[in-house]
Order: sequence, then structure tokens, then C-alpha cells
Amino acid sequence: MRTFKPLPSQPAPKETVGAVNWIRENFFSSVGNSLATLAILMLLAIILPPAIDWLFLSANWQGVTQADCTKDGACWSFVKAWSKQFFYGSYPSDELWRINLCLLALVAVIIASNVLHKDWRNKIAIPLFLALPFISIVILDGRPIGLSFVSTDYWGGFSLNVLLAAAAIIIAFPLSFLWALGRRSDMPMIRSVCVILIEFFRGVPVLALFFMGSVMLPLFFPEGTNVDKLLRVWIVLTLFMSGYMAEVFRGGFQAVPKGQYEAADSLGLSFWQKTLLIILPQVIKISMPNILATFVMLFKNTTFLLIIGIFEMLSTTQTALTNSNWLGGHATEGYLFVALVFWICCFSMSMISSSIERKLDTSHKK
Amino acid sequence: MTSEHQQGIEKNDNIIVIEALNKWYGDFHVLKDINLKVKKGERIVICGPSGSGKSTMIRCINRLEEFQRGSLVVDGVEMIEDVKNIEAIRREVGMVFQHFNLFPHLTILENLTLGPIWVQKKPKKEAEATAMKYLERVQIPDQAFKFPGQLSGGQQQRVAIARSLCMSPEIMLFDEPTSALDPEMIKEVLDVMIELAEEGMTMLCVTHEMGFAKKVADRVIFMDAGEIVEQDTPDEIFNNPQTDRLQLFLSQILDH
Ligand SMILES: Nc1ncnc2c1ncn2[C@@H]1O[C@H](COP(=O)(O)OP(=O)(O)OP(=O)(O)O)[C@@H](O)[C@H]1O
Ligand SMILES: [Mg+2]
Repeated sequence: MRTFKPLPSQPAPKETVGAVNWIRENFFSSVGNSLATLAILMLLAIILPPAIDWLFLSANWQGVTQADCTKDGACWSFVKAWSKQFFYGSYPSDELWRINLCLLALVAVIIASNVLHKDWRNKIAIPLFLALPFISIVILDGRPIGLSFVSTDYWGGFSLNVLLAAAAIIIAFPLSFLWALGRRSDMPMIRSVCVILIEFFRGVPVLALFFMGSVMLPLFFPEGTNVDKLLRVWIVLTLFMSGYMAEVFRGGFQAVPKGQYEAADSLGLSFWQKTLLIILPQVIKISMPNILATFVMLFKNTTFLLIIGIFEMLSTTQTALTNSNWLGGHATEGYLFVALVFWICCFSMSMISSSIERKLDTSHKK
Repeated sequence: MTSEHQQGIEKNDNIIVIEALNKWYGDFHVLKDINLKVKKGERIVICGPSGSGKSTMIRCINRLEEFQRGSLVVDGVEMIEDVKNIEAIRREVGMVFQHFNLFPHLTILENLTLGPIWVQKKPKKEAEATAMKYLERVQIPDQAFKFPGQLSGGQQQRVAIARSLCMSPEIMLFDEPTSALDPEMIKEVLDVMIELAEEGMTMLCVTHEMGFAKKVADRVIFMDAGEIVEQDTPDEIFNNPQTDRLQLFLSQILDH
């Protein structure tokens, strides 16, 4: 009998590998492609030198007042001088550790829920995650734990954008999951209530929701109580986020194969056991990239809060621009800085989201 | 089939009794007047052309499908619109699917212990010990900490069988357990099923593996167009078909 011997693998042909080849194939593969490449290179040659000059070479980095900005370029000392306000608003300087603690706790819980073993994650990280907004409020407010009281009027800056968005998405997680579940329910009453909620909060612009929140939310609280402005904003952002996330979850539900429900049923699991142990983990995994994308949108939308007088980062920047010590027209630097900070955050979240997507893609091939 | 086994099946010990069962999908009459009694320890193979209602019938037995007319009693519990009864029956009945349906986010061991821990409220340690015992029986104890996606189809199907066995069911349902597998893996799954049959498990198995049917089945049921057309011993069914429909079906599956 003849024994089967596989042929040895050969290296790929020379003309298809290497850097020069890569450049030729990607930038100069045709006349049109070459022209486009040249046009873009020329545009860059026109724009880049003055931009680099203004941004870095003749920029002012040192100094604490308007008068120190003597060179032609950007006045980065403006950003430096206001950086505390940009990040922390008017929160008392001695108490900034409280904000840092909350931000740190947020990062810690997110990391923990990704690296911890499943049992620990379910028993500790997730409950802690859900409690985090309330713990943060207690720490920032101070009164319940005997720290000095800091009214929400002083909360502000970029940390407020981050904490508000995080607090909204954390509560939106369980809420939107229930809405999505309700939308799939056999019971017409529950289904229509959920459809109305989801479509309302998705369909109305977030700004309109903020104004409605100021007017309408107090009606739901006992008369005479003064509902804190930030609390109202938190509720509105949570509901807004829930509307979008419920739709993301709905897509996730549809992506879980029918066989998963049947296998859970045939093992005799109850409805809630099936939903929480089998379906929910798979739905969250499938939906994660879209949830992150939705969160990026929510996060950017927190800058709208300047319109209703909350001192998040953008409105803090505007305040700084009208300060009498810095009336030199530093709007470009200020807004560039705000844009840069948001861009870094949103871009890294997009990167995370697409890396999760790639991982899902390979693990779900089967 | 051994004579010992035949005696083991007691005459009136019916574990499944289906009487005049009818089911419709909308206007489509998918199961027509099904009558079927299954004795404890009996091994039944169900075959028939695609769309004849084989899956639908066995899925009625653990209420993955509802039916509109007739009655179904499993181990003395009547299948009615009641969560308690449905859950009681599902605890008695294990099911193995064509596409395995393992839970992809759980390890093999967690797949096996989920039911015992949450449904039967067993302590985790005990559930894990039982799970390992069954993984050894299907010969893959070394895969316990992997995820389903890392296993071959044949291994996944053996895990799925072990998962059902961990619930110590009285009855096992199989819906084409080998038809999604490469030929090289079919045997390893069939071997596990043959072993299970030899231990006296009550089995209803939809399959076109005629070798398996001849080897273990006490009875072969042939279905077409939502009806049970013929049922008899494998010998009689394969060698002495009574209807032209079965004859045609046999000639088709034996042809290729
Ligand atoms: N959810 C459903 N809605 C409507 N019709 C259905 C549904 N499920 C199955 N059917 C129809 O019912 C009939 C019986 O289906 P069933 O799956 O029981 O057949 P089967 O004998 O198992 O076939 P196969 O060998 O292809 O698995 C088929 O004609 C099928 O098209
Ligand atoms: Mg079928």
C-alpha cells in the first residue's frame, strides 16, 4: 500500500510580501489611487507646518496669568491654570480625594468584573457595581458618613461628566434588560407598556428630555420637596440610556439561538433561572460592543447639561473663557482641550468595543 | 435484544401513555391522532421522512411543544397547563438535541452541574462529583474545564448526553443526535447511547442510523405526514414492511 505524505509548505511568492509592496498596493495601485494619495500629501504639507507651529513650537507652556502668554502660538498656560476646574468643577480643593476615590472605585470595579473568577464576579463585583452610584453620592455629599457637606452646586467638571454617565449606565443595565424582556413578553399589557417606554425615551431628543425632567419630575415627588437638579438629570439620563440599551438587548436576545432556551427548559430550569443563568450572560456578551457604542453617545451627550446650568466640563470651560483675568480670547485652546479629552475617552472606548467585537467574531464562529 | 431484557419490561408498567394526541401549527395539522404507550426500560427508534412530525412528537413529551387535543401522561403525571406538572415531567425526562445546545458561556463541568445545583438543589461538591462520574462514563473527564466551543462535535454531543444524565432522568429523548456530526464522530456517540440502552434506560430516539436501530431497539416506529404508520420490532419493520409507504422509505434510505 502507498503511504500518504503531505507536501511541504512553500513560502509565499516574493512579489506579494514586503513593505514596498504594501505601499504600492495600498496607495499607488492605480492612477486614481496615486492622484488621491498625492493630493492628500499636498494638503497635509499645507496644513501641518502652521498647525504644529501654533500647537507646539511657538506655544506658551509656562506662566500663571494672561500676561505670561507672550508668544504667538497657543496659550496652554490658560488650560493649565484652569485644569483643576476643568476636572473637578468648584469642589473644595481639600476634598478632591473624594472625587478621585469615586473614580478609582469605578475603574477598580470595571477591572474586577473583567478579571475576577465568575463566582466572585457574580457575588461581589456585580452587586458592588450596582451600588456604586449610591456609594459615590454618599461620599461626594459627605453628610451621611460624617464628612463635610458639599452641595451639588459645587460638583462639576469632567469628573462629573464621567460619574454621571457611569451612574446612568449602571442603573440603565438592569432597567433596560427588564424593558427588553418585557417587550418579548407574551402578556400584551406588559409588552405595550415596555414598547411605549422604550420608544418614548428613544424618540424624544435628549435636550427635550432634560427640560421635561425639570418640569415634570417634581410632580412625581411629594409636594414641597426640592428635587435636586443633578438627581433629576441622573434620572433623565438613565431613562434615555435605558431606551437605547433595551433595543441593543433586544438584538442580543434575538441572537441567542432557540436551542439555548430549549436546552434550559428541558433541564427543568424555571423562567427566571433560564433568563438569568443562561440567556442574560449570552445577551450581555453579544451586546457589549453596541452597549459601549451607546455609552459613548450618552457620554458625549452629558455636555448638553451646560444648557440647564450644570457645571460639567464644557460649561466650566465657558466660565473660564469669560473670566476677567483671562480675557485674551483663548476659546480655541479651551475647546480644543475639551475636544481632546472627550476624544481620547471615546476613542479608547471605541477601540475596546471593536476589540471585543473581534474576539466575539472568532469565538462565535462555531 | 436479549430475552433477559424482554422480561425486565413489565407488562403494565407504562411510563409514557399518549392517547389521541393532535397538534396543529395554525391551520397545519402536524400530529394526527397519535397513540403510543412506552413501557419502562423500552428502547424505541422513530424514523420517517423529513417533515413527518418526528421531532414534534417527541418534543411534546417534555412540553417543548404544546398540543391542542388528546392526553399525555409521563410517569403518572398528566401533562396539563400547569407549571408544577410541567416542571415535574421535565425533571423525569432528559433530552439530547441535534445541535447539542450546550451553554457556550459555561465550562463543561458547569454545563453538567447547572441543573443539579439549581433545579435539584444539590450541594455544589456533590453535583461536581456526579458530573465527573458521568464525564468519565462518556470518556472525556479531561475536558471538564474547557468551554464547549473548544470541543469537537462528537465530544460536545457526549457532554450533552452526560448533562442530561446528571439529572438522573427516567426517560431519555434523542432528536437526531448524530445527524450534525462528521462520519468519524458518529460512532463515539452511538457507543455511548448503546451503553445507555444496555443499562435499561427508557429511550425514544429519532434517528436514521439503522444499524443502531437493529442493535438496540425493542420497537421501531415509522411516521409519515403526522401519523404513526407502522410500529413493530426492527426485524419486522426492515424485512417485512406492511405498507407501500414504508417500503418506499426503506428503499430510499438503503439506496445511498
Ligand atoms: N414552529 C413551526 N411552525 C410551523 N410549522 C412547523 C413548525 N415547526 C415545524 N413545523 C412543520 O411541522 C412539520 C413537522 O416538523 P418536524 O420538525 O416534527 O418534522 P421531522 O419529522 O422532525 O422532520 P426532520 O426529519 O426534517 O427533522 C414540518 O412540516 C414542519 O415544516
Ligand atoms: Mg426533526
